[in-house]
Amino acid sequence: MKYLLMIYGNQEKWDSIPAEEWPEAIARQDAFNRKYRETGELVGAYGLADAVNARLVRRENGAPAVTDGPYLETKEYMASFYLLDCESEERALQIAAEIPSADQDAVEFWPVLHEAPADA
Amino acid sequence: MSGAPGVEDLLRELAPQVLVALVRRYGGFDLCEDAVQEALLAAALSWPAEGVPDNPRGWLVTVASRRLVDQVRAERSRRLREDRVVLATPQSELLARPADADPETDRDDSLTLLFLCCHPALSTPSRIALTLRAVGGLSTAQIAAAFLVPEPTMAQRISRAKQSIRTSNLPFRPPEAAERAERLAEVLHVLYLIFNEGYTASDGDSLTAPSLSGEAIRLTRLLRRALPEDPEVLGLLALMLFADARRPARTAPDGSLVPLSEQDRSRWDRALVDEAAALLTRALGGASPLGPYQLQAAIAGVHTEAADPSATDWPQILGLYDLLEKIAPNPVTSLNRAVAVAMVHGPAPALELLAALEADARLSRGHRLLATRAHLLELQGDLTEAASAYRAAAHRALSAPERRHLLTRAARLSPKAS
Repeated sequence: MKYLLMIYGNQEKWDSIPAEEWPEAIARQDAFNRKYRETGELVGAYGLADAVNARLVRRENGAPAVTDGPYLETKEYMASFYLLDCESEERALQIAAEIPSADQDAVEFWPVLHEAPADA
Repeated sequence: MSGAPGVEDLLRELAPQVLVALVRRYGGFDLCEDAVQEALLAAALSWPAEGVPDNPRGWLVTVASRRLVDQVRAERSRRLREDRVVLATPQSELLARPADADPETDRDDSLTLLFLCCHPALSTPSRIALTLRAVGGLSTAQIAAAFLVPEPTMAQRISRAKQSIRTSNLPFRPPEAAERAERLAEVLHVLYLIFNEGYTASDGDSLTAPSLSGEAIRLTRLLRRALPEDPEVLGLLALMLFADARRPARTAPDGSLVPLSEQDRSRWDRALVDEAAALLTRALGGASPLGPYQLQAAIAGVHTEAADPSATDWPQILGLYDLLEKIAPNPVTSLNRAVAVAMVHGPAPALELLAALEADARLSRGHRLLATRAHLLELQGDLTEAASAYRAAAHRALSAPERRHLLTRAARLSPKAS
């Protein structure tokens, strides 16, 4: 099964992290990504750009209509997402809990619909 | 295999034999496996243009051996595993061996290879990936496409599996007699999982993503050649063929799932049904006790015998589920048995059985219990309740085709409800 993990945050929160802590945070993140790429369970890990770069795209009269996003006026935006492919939900939850920031902020966890009927 | 198989079919047929030849000569499953993949690639590139060599297997063994030598030399130069591989075997000896020199040994060898790839020391996804590559001869890219993951993800899974074989020192030999039955059950389970993964409504682009159910059937046929009279092997193959026979009727033109009771039975593949029935008869004719695959195949067989759903012999199906629940208890079996109870004794006692199953944590979080309840409520005529149970089941379903199917059923029962 595949699982989507999402991490939320906002600029204010990220600005509050002292610059000298970044290298260690990045190293921990890299180690996490490396570990689960090696097991074949991490399909991809992606950090998103700042919210000012988000756009909303519609099609109006057959032509793309693009406005500044994001869609919802929320305090926190999606900051990064991971796609896992794991043997069981239990295993995926265990990996989600190992995301370096999971001791600070909750990781949103979504099973991804599967094209094959679920096995017994 | 009949007729003249294409180059790809031939290569995949030879892949496990070449791998075994290398492992026997040199040891070191992981390096041999890499070398065989490279030889298969070289053949796939050169054979279609230059023609298939007279002794294709000898060609592959020679090329793979050279690749292995290259790899080992490279590793040696890095001072790794200096004394692992003995390279003294004359190439002439490898070349001289005709393709079908010793069919007896080939059969045993592919079995040993399956046992190794499905070893319980490996995780289930690793077993599946390794079986498809080492025994099935599929490339990493093809396996990745079949499972809808990027190639590097699958490459990591395979290399990790091979690393586990190396570090756990798993031997390349058949399991001891004492654990043989258990290990064979693991092999059958892996093949069954591969089949189920591929038993989908849409098979996608068959050029890039091979049909996993077709591959599972091919591998199970290979296993059957090694163990022609094993009743569970026969049972699993029969089960797969019964299911595969229904494939043409299982999907509506719009891609949605058609349940068994609504399938156009004239579209079932009769040749596959007949083959499955013959295998099942043979399996059940043996003296050994019935196993779970024989029983599941027998249930599929009873369904298939009925010319239309109303002619289904439900008492016989219920009897088979009783046995299955006894020898291989499983919550999904209990749910299916409840449906058979409903068909024999009416929905009320079946709903009581379901109530008793609610405590099972494996069922309470998923969609199956709710979907079965919806079906039973529909049989009982409680259409409003059935529709809401179908909707609740759809919310929990994690498979896109099943979710669409459950929502369609809900909509059919309450067309005005939103």
